[in-house]
Amino acid sequence: MAPPAPRTGDAVFANVERVNAELFTLTYGAIVRQLLTDLEEVEEVNKQLDQMGYNIGIRLIDEFLTKSNISRCVDFKETAEVIAKAGFKMFLGVTASVTNWDADGTSCSLVLEDNPLVDFVELPDTCQGLYYCNILSGVIRGALEMTRAWCCMDKFHSAFWCCFKACISPEPNFWCTHQGMCLVRLATHPR
Amino acid sequence: MIVCIAVVGHQNNPLYLQSFTEADDALKLHHIVHCSLDVIDERVNNPKKTGSTLNETYLGLLYPTENYKVYGYLTNTKVKFILVTTHLDVRDADVRNFFRRFHSAYVDAVSNPFHVPGKKITSQTFAERVSTIVKSFGLSSAV
Repeated sequence: MAPPAPRTGDAVFANVERVNAELFTLTYGAIVRQLLTDLEEVEEVNKQLDQMGYNIGIRLIDEFLTKSNISRCVDFKETAEVIAKAGFKMFLGVTASVTNWDADGTSCSLVLEDNPLVDFVELPDTCQGLYYCNILSGVIRGALEMTRAWCCMDKFHSAFWCCFKACISPEPNFWCTHQGMCLVRLATHPR
Repeated sequence: MIVCIAVVGHQNNPLYLQSFTEADDALKLHHIVHCSLDVIDERVNNPKKTGSTLNETYLGLLYPTENYKVYGYLTNTKVKFILVTTHLDVRDADVRNFFRRFHSAYVDAVSNPFHVPGKKITSQTFAERVSTIVKSFGLSSAV
């Protein structure tokens, strides 16, 4: 039996094109600032960031699956690990850790110790409640929704072990603390 | 012993002012900083013809008063850093080093997307980094 494909993104990360991290950080900061200026409401900005992330995620997932050559995940636990180790590594250059599993194994937290999006950022008092990294939460949501579509197709071909028959809870909590750590809470609802 | 540091914008507007002494002559320190701005303008507008390059950031000792020495540093964006220190054997290399680290902290503070250029720097992290740099300045010059 062939050895399972590596579950880390290191090899892929070494081969993808890079961009300057400060340019990336400053660009994202400018986006958030502009959204705050245009929309003014912190809640609206959160929603908009999530939507932007969703649009990125539905496109990103194909690139991720082709470049990373990851084999199919058999359950949600593996999916979370793959996102944390391979996905984040490939696109952000850092890995997240998966913690805080609940009793059913349907919900976990992804913690990013070192998040390039939040370098230099300090939230002012007027923006408490802003989910600064909400774009990441949208990306994960978009990407996972597309794989569910994919594995439903697979179900027709009677490969019954789908990744997960799930829909991602629409409110993954994503917030940026002043120390720059990010958490996302993923939850699945098996149908 | 560093008594006061100031960051002044290119229109001579104060961006950050921090004193490190408990004495209540803060007003006097602010006055010293204000006067030193004139000296900087003079230096900038009349560069000495002794071969100093045009993009010299470290301005050196601006002027000594009876108790203090005032050093200046000019960034490429015309933002001025002013350092007021009490009379000690302060080495030039130490001051240059201090300004380099201070400049680095300033750049990080300004990269915050929520900081408005031209307004005061309100970042807590910047204040902490600055006090660390100030403390280690005293230590390194004691060596």
